[in-house]
Amino acid sequence: MKGEQSWLDRLDAKRDKIAEKLAHKEVSLPIELITGILFLLLGVVILLIMPKQVPVSDTDVINGRAFPTLLMVVMMIFSGIILLKELYNYFIKKCPLTTKKVNLLVEVKALEILAILFLTYLICKITDLFVIGAIFCCLGFLLYFRCRKKSYYAITLVTAVLIWVAFRFGLNVNF
Amino acid sequence: MLEFIGPALEHLFTLENFLWMNLGVFIGAVFAAVPGLSVILCVILFLPFTYRMTAIPGMMFLLGIYCAGGYGGSVSAILINTPGTPHAAATMMDGHPLSQKGRTKAALKIALYASAFGGVFSALMLLFLGPQVAQVAAQLGTAEYFMVCLFGLTIIAGVSGKSMIKGIIAACIGLLISCIGADPMTSYDRFTFGIPRLYLGLDLAICLIGLFALVEILAKAEKKSGPLVLDSKKINDDGKITKDEYKRMIRPTILSSIIGVLVGIIPGTGASEASWFSYDRAKAMSKHKEEFGHGSVEGIAAAESANNAVTGATLIPLLTMGIPGDGTVAIMLSALMINGLNPGLSLFTTQGDIMYAIMIGLIFVNLFMLLQGNFLTRLFAKVVSIPQEILTPIIVMFCFAGAYSVNKNYFDVGVTLIFAVIAWLLRKLDMPPVPILLGMVLGNMTETNFRRALLISNGNPAIFVSSVYCIIFITLTVLAVAALIRSKLKESNGQVKK
Repeated sequence: MKGEQSWLDRLDAKRDKIAEKLAHKEVSLPIELITGILFLLLGVVILLIMPKQVPVSDTDVINGRAFPTLLMVVMMIFSGIILLKELYNYFIKKCPLTTKKVNLLVEVKALEILAILFLTYLICKITDLFVIGAIFCCLGFLLYFRCRKKSYYAITLVTAVLIWVAFRFGLNVNF
Repeated sequence: MLEFIGPALEHLFTLENFLWMNLGVFIGAVFAAVPGLSVILCVILFLPFTYRMTAIPGMMFLLGIYCAGGYGGSVSAILINTPGTPHAAATMMDGHPLSQKGRTKAALKIALYASAFGGVFSALMLLFLGPQVAQVAAQLGTAEYFMVCLFGLTIIAGVSGKSMIKGIIAACIGLLISCIGADPMTSYDRFTFGIPRLYLGLDLAICLIGLFALVEILAKAEKKSGPLVLDSKKINDDGKITKDEYKRMIRPTILSSIIGVLVGIIPGTGASEASWFSYDRAKAMSKHKEEFGHGSVEGIAAAESANNAVTGATLIPLLTMGIPGDGTVAIMLSALMINGLNPGLSLFTTQGDIMYAIMIGLIFVNLFMLLQGNFLTRLFAKVVSIPQEILTPIIVMFCFAGAYSVNKNYFDVGVTLIFAVIAWLLRKLDMPPVPILLGMVLGNMTETNFRRALLISNGNPAIFVSSVYCIIFITLTVLAVAALIRSKLKESNGQVKK
């Protein structure tokens, strides 16, 4: 256990070091500009792929493309409004762009969690055993939270097995 | 109506229904009591369970979660000055001060009684108003239905986030997602990219687990909150409410219940608006204004009765027209539709026995909430302090198991993860997720009515302004948009002045 603790301590120390570096690093994102451009482009892409993705019959009065086309046009109009409003404020009114500060440490932490989620998914998929992925998930999150209480490990691991039992025998989900 | 009551009671009074009701109430109260866990998250996590149930037990379970969620949020608001759910914030104003005066149990009891009253009142309103509204809704044609969908989507897009435009874009995304799979009218594949699993479209539960549940995990874990310390000795008072206090509770409870119902019927508004509005009304009308903010029984009663009175009212537009009053009931719509229950007059006529069983069941759900609240308050209070380290992996495991169980394959779990990433990115852009949910729920109905209306008119869009109902809904939509723009402008002007 002593060895394990020191291994955990080393891991936490490494994380602290990285966190210290990233804690004060912030990136300003021009969110309105990004939103406008992103959804305008998305609208264009969807409209471009529509003929390949939505087959229609010549006899249809109103075919399957009508509704998604209408949606994309509406989305592009509103994205355009966001974009024009932001550009008008910036160039004509000389106001600064609307930005959102993103802290790199927070984003790295979120990426760590995403990694735990994706690894859990991969383990479940490769082994075809939910319970193994669930155990990994418990351990991953407890390590992420720097948890040292044995009781927490025991509670979550038992719960992982209980959830598997509930779905396997209660809902007949074979995984 | 009366001809359905007998068969409805026969359907309702089964051990299975009452067990699911109680389980739902218990789970809902526990979830809502934990700050950071929401009722919508709870409904999403347990939605896959209802896929294997018939309509009545499934709906009883979800309604149990929904109603008890309204009360459960008050537990942590009173005990630790942190609302378990956003709508319990108004309860906190007087609940916690009363608790600090050594009357924790009394505060919890007032909240419980007011919640139960509001819930039962709302259920009765649903029972009596639902069939009447459904009869009006039966007169709507395809063009009118499209306008109703547009009205619901516009309001929810407008109130869900800081920007109405972003809300509309989010609604478009939701509607587009609903287009994935077979065309509802021609059965041609759309946006399947050659992936056979997409032919049947994306299941709502799978997408929502990613959009609402897993993304919450990401957000929660980004900022770890400290442990919530609860002194359980605080609940050791006798919980006695005096005769005078009961008398003072009556007026705000009744008035707030009416306000809650009125607010709940309007799509897009919700329990938070109802509870704050009722709290302000109760304060304005009280003879003891000075007590508000310092442990007023009227304040707790007003806020709690209003937020639970919303529960039945939100179901009125849902069951009659398919327009969900809020995000949580939007999810319930899929539980209904999976059992072949489509909103509209037919629900109250051809499937009246099932529908009345559900509506009467809602009254019992509130009564069971009262019972469980009376006996299990101490337990609900204890879960407030469950550490995040334990909760987070448990919720993730539920998400994965829930997503897998829908179609029993890991492809769906992958889709859930993709939706979580999308939701996370959208959050960075301040895009609200609720309009996406509503777009997904209403997508099929909106498109089908849009296309049918145009087919009837041979492609002439004038059909959308051809009837009185269409004009009424267009006017309502325009008025709602104008009101929303006005309030946003006021808000931004206020911020500039500050």
